[in-house]
Amino acid sequence: MNSPSLHLQDWRAWLPDGDAGGDTRIATDTRPGGRSLPAMLRRRVNLAGRAVADLLAELDPDADSILLHASRHGDGERTLELLYALAEDAPLSPARFGLSVHNAVLGVYSIASGNRRSLQAIAAGGDELAALFSEARGYLAEGAPQVIAVFSDVPVPPRFADHAPASRGAAALAMRLSLDNGRAIHESPWQGGGDPPQPVDVIAWLRDGGELGSPLRGRAWTLAP
Amino acid sequence: MTTELELELKQLIIDTLELEDVTPEDIDPDEPLFVEGLGLDSIDALELGLALQKRYGIQLEADSEETRRHFANLRTLAALVEARRTQ
Repeated sequence: MNSPSLHLQDWRAWLPDGDAGGDTRIATDTRPGGRSLPAMLRRRVNLAGRAVADLLAELDPDADSILLHASRHGDGERTLELLYALAEDAPLSPARFGLSVHNAVLGVYSIASGNRRSLQAIAAGGDELAALFSEARGYLAEGAPQVIAVFSDVPVPPRFADHAPASRGAAALAMRLSLDNGRAIHESPWQGGGDPPQPVDVIAWLRDGGELGSPLRGRAWTLAP
Repeated sequence: MTTELELELKQLIIDTLELEDVTPEDIDPDEPLFVEGLGLDSIDALELGLALQKRYGIQLEADSEETRRHFANLRTLAALVEARRTQ
């Protein structure tokens, strides 16, 4: 049986200090403005969280799309600070605790934008892109007209960097997906190896085309022109 | 007229609660700190309670009417610190 094919309607990305190649869909500011969030909420999320909120504000202007957010490590800085505090028997910061959960960024965005659709946070051990496509297909097959899939990560804190695959840099991207509207995303079996795609790799694929593979899933995706 | 302690508390609030766009002058000592006025929320209240404990050794009941009164504005907060500080 053929799984329903995904189509890419539009996308936005944050590639701090990166090369946008003149593509206005890619923001390259070191510190994203986070202007889509009121200041009292903006202070609660890290730079990737601000970037994600800004990308979503552009792709979800009516605050009416189902939102998926995948991140391999989430806000590792904040989570590990809590663990240090626990190890030292110090009291935990309530604000850090509240925002250390994986769905914190979408939660903050939904409060700011008033989006009351389903929100889903995903960590998939390196296979975030494949997981996003699978989940998006599910929501679309159930009748959602569109789904916005977000993928973001920042390098894990230096003390833990040896225990995680080398980061190719902080980045975030958001794709508006549907079943029949936009550029088709073709999926095919794939034997390639190497590291699973990180957000920077997905941005390069969105910008330049070509084939992007998941060694964990044995699948690759090609974007129709 | 702002006292030295009030200024210190303003800076504590700004630093602890990461109020990146707020300066000490923006905090009116007589305006409410929570919901109205400065617009802090319940997570900020917990965070501020923790900061008062760390900095001044003041222990507060998280959900008492008395704590609400102490947290009403900067002047009531300064009065609390004057009266109850152990460090």
